[in-house]
Order: sequence, then C-alpha cells, then structure tokens
Amino acid sequence: MAKVNLGGVEIEVDEDGFIVDPNVWNEKVAQALASTEDVPNMSEEHWKVVKYLRDYYQKYNIAPMIRKMCKDTQVDLKHMYELFPTGPAKGACKIAGLPKPTGCV
Amino acid sequence: MAVAAEKKEVKKIIDLGLEEGAKKLTPEKIEITINNALAAMGGARLDAYVSTCIHCGLCSEACHFYLSHDGDPHFSPVGKVKQTMWEILKNKGRVSPDSVKKIAEIAYTECNLCRRCSMYCPFGIDIAYIISSVRRICHLLGVTPQYLQDTAHSHAATMNQMWLKQDEWIDTLFWQEDDYRREIKNLTIPLDKEGADIMYSVIGPEPKFLAMLIGNAAKIMNVAGIDWTFPSFDGWDNSDMAMFSGDQEIMGRVKRAHFEAAMRLKVKRIVMGECGHAFRSVYDVGNRWFGWKMPPVPVIHAIQFYYELIKEGRIKIVKKFKEPVTLHDPCNVMRGRGLGDMARYVVNAICEDFRDMSPNKEHNYCCAAGGGVINCGPPWKLKRMEGNRVKAEQMKATGARVVITPCHNCHSGIEDIIGYYKLGMHTKFISDILVDAIEVPESMKAKK
Repeated sequence: MAKVNLGGVEIEVDEDGFIVDPNVWNEKVAQALASTEDVPNMSEEHWKVVKYLRDYYQKYNIAPMIRKMCKDTQVDLKHMYELFPTGPAKGACKIAGLPKPTGCV
Repeated sequence: MAVAAEKKEVKKIIDLGLEEGAKKLTPEKIEITINNALAAMGGARLDAYVSTCIHCGLCSEACHFYLSHDGDPHFSPVGKVKQTMWEILKNKGRVSPDSVKKIAEIAYTECNLCRRCSMYCPFGIDIAYIISSVRRICHLLGVTPQYLQDTAHSHAATMNQMWLKQDEWIDTLFWQEDDYRREIKNLTIPLDKEGADIMYSVIGPEPKFLAMLIGNAAKIMNVAGIDWTFPSFDGWDNSDMAMFSGDQEIMGRVKRAHFEAAMRLKVKRIVMGECGHAFRSVYDVGNRWFGWKMPPVPVIHAIQFYYELIKEGRIKIVKKFKEPVTLHDPCNVMRGRGLGDMARYVVNAICEDFRDMSPNKEHNYCCAAGGGVINCGPPWKLKRMEGNRVKAEQMKATGARVVITPCHNCHSGIEDIIGYYKLGMHTKFISDILVDAIEVPESMKAKK
C-alpha cells in the first residue's frame, strides 16, 4: 500500500492505484484518479457514469453489469469504452472509488 | 533493448487471504493436512518429477521472473520448487505457518504455470504440475490469495466467475442481439437450441464487462451462417479459476457443468472464446481430474474456429487491418495445444503488417498474468510488472502498435505491462479485428 496525492490530499491506494477507503472519495479525488486512467477531462457523461457506479456499489456492494451501466446511463457500449479507454472494470471503477473487481479482468 | 520503468521501493505485501489463513494454522494441522494431501495425490507423478530433477538449473533462463530480476536464483523455476515442494517434502510436512505463507506467495504469485521451463528441462519435468500441487496443499490449508479465492467462491456459488445470476446472463445476450441488429439485419443469438452444430462458451467477464466480445461472436456466427447456440443455464462459463486456487472439487463441478450443458443441448461440438486457462481446464486439468481420455463433446479454441472459417471460405476477408500488429502466443493454446501456426494463418489473413515476436510460438515469454496470477489482484500488481521486463523488451522490439492476445489473462496482463513500461501499444482480441475485416453480404446489412 502506498499514499499518493490525489486532489490535494494524501490518500492510501493499493498497488494497482485503486483507493483503499471508499469513504475518502470526492470529486477532486475522482478527477485525479481519472488522469491516471487516460481520461484527461471528466465530461458530464463521465460524471454520470461514475456517479451511477458509486451509487450502485454503495447499494449492492458489487460493480454493476455492463448492460445495466449502459441502459441506466444511456451510454452505449462502444461509447462507454471511448469514455473510459481502460475499460469499465478498471478505469471507470477506479475513478468511482470502487475496489478492482475480482476475476479475469 | 532496455525499457525504462519507474523504480519503487520494495514494500511488504499484505494479502488478507494469506495473513488470515495462516493465523488459523497450528503445526499439527499443517502436518496432518500436508501428509493427507500428498497421500491423496497418489504421489507417483510428483515423486518421479521430484526425484528426477538433478538441480542443473537449465530451467532458470526460461523463466520471465528470473530473467526480469537479472538472474536472481529466488525466481528460477528450480529455486521456486526448492523453496516450496522440497521444503515441504524435506520436513515431511512439518513447516511453520509463516513458511506456509511464504510458500503460498511463491506458488500463487511468482509462477504463472506457463511451462516454458519444461521446454528447457533436459528431463521435461512438468514444473507447473509441481507448483500446482503446492497450490493444492495451500488451498487445503486455507491459505490462498484473497482476490483469487473470491473468484473461486463465485465459481462455487454461481458456476461462473463473476457472480452473475441467470437472468443477468440472458438479459445480456438479448441486449447484444438487439444492439447488433443495428448493423446486421435479423441477427440472432440462439438460446438452448437443441441439436445445434456448435455450443459457444465464454468466460464470466464477457457478459459482465466485455459484452462486445459476445456481439463480435454473434456477428461472425451469423455472417458465416453457423448453426450455433448458447446455453441459458449454468455451464455457459467455461472458465475455471478454482483450477488455479487448488480447489479441484469445485474445478471438477464447474467443468462438469460446462460439458453437461453441451450434452443436454446435444450439440456436435463446443467452441470456446479467446481464453487460454479455460482451454487448459478442458484438455489438461479437468479431464484428468475426471479420468477422461477424451472430453465427452469435442471442444476447440476460437483460433481454430476462425482458421476453419477463413480456410473453408465461410467468411471472406475484404478489409485488412492496417496498423502494424504483433501476436502474443498464450501458453495454454500455443505451448499447450500447438495452435501457433493456425493463429499466424488467421492474423496474416486479417492484418496487412504482421511482425512476429522473438522468441515465439511455444518459446514465447509468458504474459505474467496467467496461471491465476493476475486474479490475485491489486496487492500483487507491482510484483507482476517487475517480474516481466523481458516481455516489455520483447514487444517493444517488434515495433508493432497493436498486440493481438487471444486469451483474457494475456490481454489484461499485457495491457498492464504496456502501461507500466510506457510502450505506447494496445491489446486486441482476434475477434476485435476480424469483425471489421469480414465481408457482410448486402442482403444482411441493416438499413441505416
């Protein structure tokens, strides 16, 4: 585990750069995490997806299926991968302050 | 050719699975568990390997961990066996909880079970089998990496590796069918079609996150006019991380579900998507667990399927991919099953500028993600990156922009290496390129 400066605060991240404590997440932190995942600027669409992921995770303690992500945010699959070039599992989840999903991802 | 990477100081890695597991151990429990495990394994294969090894060290130069750590003997295959299985055998199972933790770390995170070392061993000792046996012991002792164990739990509870429920699987297929009809008129993803020629099976992350791979498969099947189907029920996920955690009972159940789905649907054969470990689980590990000489339903890898489609003219390539590409040979399909030439046939058919890696085919360097290592999760990421500098150098030397990786673990692991060593490349599956290269007959095109 290491501490890195995200949005002006020292925050603990794991070896893959995911934040350890989901409660320290805020928009500034998200912005800083985004720059590590090939998302230089967070657009309105990015925020919509990221906030959706966060809400879903807080409710169900797991990342949503990509189908639900796309349907509920009205972002189609291809565009989702354009928004988050490193993918929804790694990029979008990291920016939203979720832990890395388990499995072959 | 050296590649630069930022150096970080070595920190002690904490993995809850190993820490908490080791806390529950007592010397008695360890001794009994290990000796029961060794007795149950039958021992002949293991004994032969352990007693044949003359410690010559020829395996060392084969290992990407060893090479990437500038010849540190700790990372040589023989060194890893010495620190794990020999330690266990020498002490007749009397090892401390702390030693078990160390043994587990080596077996789960410092060996990808890729078997490159076996190619260089003068006796052909299957070192991956020895390390797998160590993992089996660790599993029985309850000392397994947390992320990997979570995936094995998912297999046990849901028969797939991503905690998917049946309706989520079915909904995803309907969604992809719907989506792709914008491009292909009346495209279908048939469910539970009895007597179909082919059952197509995938791994859990495809419906969970990588749904376009299901769409890609559907497009290829529809354009080629294949009689195919997916099962709507358990058995659709062909992956098997329990095989790598050492939980052979769950591995067997998962494998049985996969073949039973094919038998229930009375299909002629199974085609598996672009995954390596899942393929290993049907031709090497799962079949042996069941004592099968041959799987009950013939099963082939996607590479062979694409090869047949192109060779037999069932799909026509009209638009080749232009960017320079290279091909990473996944251990479980190339070294394990010899599909290297077929893969090159396919890649040359769909790409204009193919630049092979060196070494390649069965001599290719591992991705460092396979064997369940990437599945051990974030705590071990840095170790995985530092352990595969040779892969970065090998890929950089090709001058390619795209690395084709017909395996999920390789795909994610190599993307990580590209990022860590700043290689400016990207990974793609074969199907990502194939779907844009094939001719879609006018009559099948959807009206825009």
